[in-house]
Amino acid sequence: MGTVVAPLVSIVAGAVLGVTTLMGVISSQTGAPDQSPANAEAPALEYGTVSE
Amino acid sequence: MPTRSTAAPGTVSSRGRLPALLPTAWSLLLAALVLGPALGWGYVLSYDMVWVPRLDLRADTLGLGSALPRAVPSDAVVAVLDDVVPAVLLQKLVLLGALTVAGAGAAALVHERSVPARLVAATLAVWNPFVVERLVIGHWPLLVGYAVLPWVVVALRDRERPRLPSYLPLLLLLGSLSASAGLATAVAALAVGVRRSDARRTLVLLAWLAAANAPWVVAGLVQASTATSDPAGAELFATAGEGLLTGPSAALSFGGIWNAEVVPTSRTGWAGLAMTVLLLAAAAVGLLRVLRGRVHVDALGGLVVCWGVGTGLAVLSWAAPGALGRLAADVPGGGLVRDGSRLLGLAVPLVVVLVAVAVDALLERLPDPATRVLVGGVLALLPLSLMPDAAWGVAGRLDAVAYPVAYDDAREAVSRAPAGDAVSLPFVSYRAPVWNDSRRVLDPLGRYLDRPVVVNDELVVSGTRIAGEDPRAARVVTALDAPSPGERSALLREEGISVVVVEQIEGYPVPALEGTATLDGDLAVIELGAADTPRPSPTRRAAMAAAWLAWLLVPAGAVALGLRRRRQARRRTLGDTRRCARP
Repeated sequence: MGTVVAPLVSIVAGAVLGVTTLMGVISSQTGAPDQSPANAEAPALEYGTVSE
Repeated sequence: MPTRSTAAPGTVSSRGRLPALLPTAWSLLLAALVLGPALGWGYVLSYDMVWVPRLDLRADTLGLGSALPRAVPSDAVVAVLDDVVPAVLLQKLVLLGALTVAGAGAAALVHERSVPARLVAATLAVWNPFVVERLVIGHWPLLVGYAVLPWVVVALRDRERPRLPSYLPLLLLLGSLSASAGLATAVAALAVGVRRSDARRTLVLLAWLAAANAPWVVAGLVQASTATSDPAGAELFATAGEGLLTGPSAALSFGGIWNAEVVPTSRTGWAGLAMTVLLLAAAAVGLLRVLRGRVHVDALGGLVVCWGVGTGLAVLSWAAPGALGRLAADVPGGGLVRDGSRLLGLAVPLVVVLVAVAVDALLERLPDPATRVLVGGVLALLPLSLMPDAAWGVAGRLDAVAYPVAYDDAREAVSRAPAGDAVSLPFVSYRAPVWNDSRRVLDPLGRYLDRPVVVNDELVVSGTRIAGEDPRAARVVTALDAPSPGERSALLREEGISVVVVEQIEGYPVPALEGTATLDGDLAVIELGAADTPRPSPTRRAAMAAAWLAWLLVPAGAVALGLRRRRQARRRTLGDTRRCARP
């Protein structure tokens, strides 16, 4: 029994890690663009930006 | 029958030096991975995190300035320590140490569990949105307090040990480097450490907490302003949603900071949602096992209280920011809770413990040690895979930079100026210097110069102004609005300002002043003439002296207590040896 379960569990564990990594990488690359100041030479000296 | 320690699954949990050190080594690795380029040579300057080569022990660092004591006692501690360890190294030690200690503490919270469960606990404690967001926004004293939290729980949860551990005062001291950190540490210490049957223990604990927090509490009570804050801040600093997550759901996975600029991009996508779901599912499995009595968790009640305070405050600030705004406006010190998610670190210990229980529950069902190691490793890596942009200085948001030579020149020029305080112009709180890769940072001159600097504590968030609390800063604004250079300089001198440092920033014109220019360049220095600085009243000075004395008694008391207990233990051992030696 164990000889069957172990490879199955390994495959599932690898698949889960693969999917979450893919999800994480895609999310980190396709999120909302960083807010950039209208004028890069004169950036707004604010403390931060609240999400809309 | 509930078991305190479930059977450790497989050989990976065998007790030994390596398994004991593994979570600490793993935490160190994770901390180094998060900080990445920030560990290079130079200073990490990000939002509220300002470290300078030499921070002087001045009236404002000691809590005797006119502004709210936001950096008390952290600045005083740094000012003393950077005489021993160069500030550039000290900052790395603090950041790397805080994250490593946080991870190791989480593993210590679940020390009876398997090695994979402890590794998962360490990962969760280091690789989470609370740590990343607070790191980028620069709340390092809060992170030091966060690192201390699990150790405070570990120190106080043992019901069979009636006496408080002798190292506890040092933990409380480290955990109280700022007002918010002190609050979180106090909540955790009282939630876990109070015994109804032992009033003396509670009183001693309260005394240690009072002494460890005395500098910022007393500075806040006796300072010049009313210690109330603009209610508009509560609306802007409320817990916020992150992409697909609403405010409360973001808070449930330790995120939800108000400032969208410091949120890792991965949190705003499906990965943030997946992380929240997985975390809640694992915590629910752990909770179910605890409620069914299969596993015993020490100090569960205290951990639940901590989670309730941290999460409850975050959700409250999202649901009713107006109420927190009124609290900040009407109650002195009420502004402490206007940043709703700042105390979310309190929620981490309970979740870490429950997730570790769930991890062991899963591993127990696996057939062989090799599979347990594999699955345990995957579980420990899941937070990294779902928030990969926390790595390498939070995807480049943190880096180490060198100050331009102009800062040293300005410090030297200012040190030669006549008696009085300084002002940095343009009179706005934050800068985004090109040499810092245009990262926003609190004006470094406030700490760089050798004398107190009056800084503008008005904040601008998304174009909305949040009024400052410092009455002296407001008077400087009035002085700068005077019609002629001569009048401006005269009014500034009346306010105790003898020297001004001017930085040319496009879009932020600086009014002309009458004075002697002693330095020209990127940072210009103008001497206005000697000025009488406002001296704190004798009562205020006496109160602060008493507060610092109480604070200093904490480490002294811890050392004395440790030595006394060691002597007592030695005496007991000697007594036992003599009794055994008798015929």
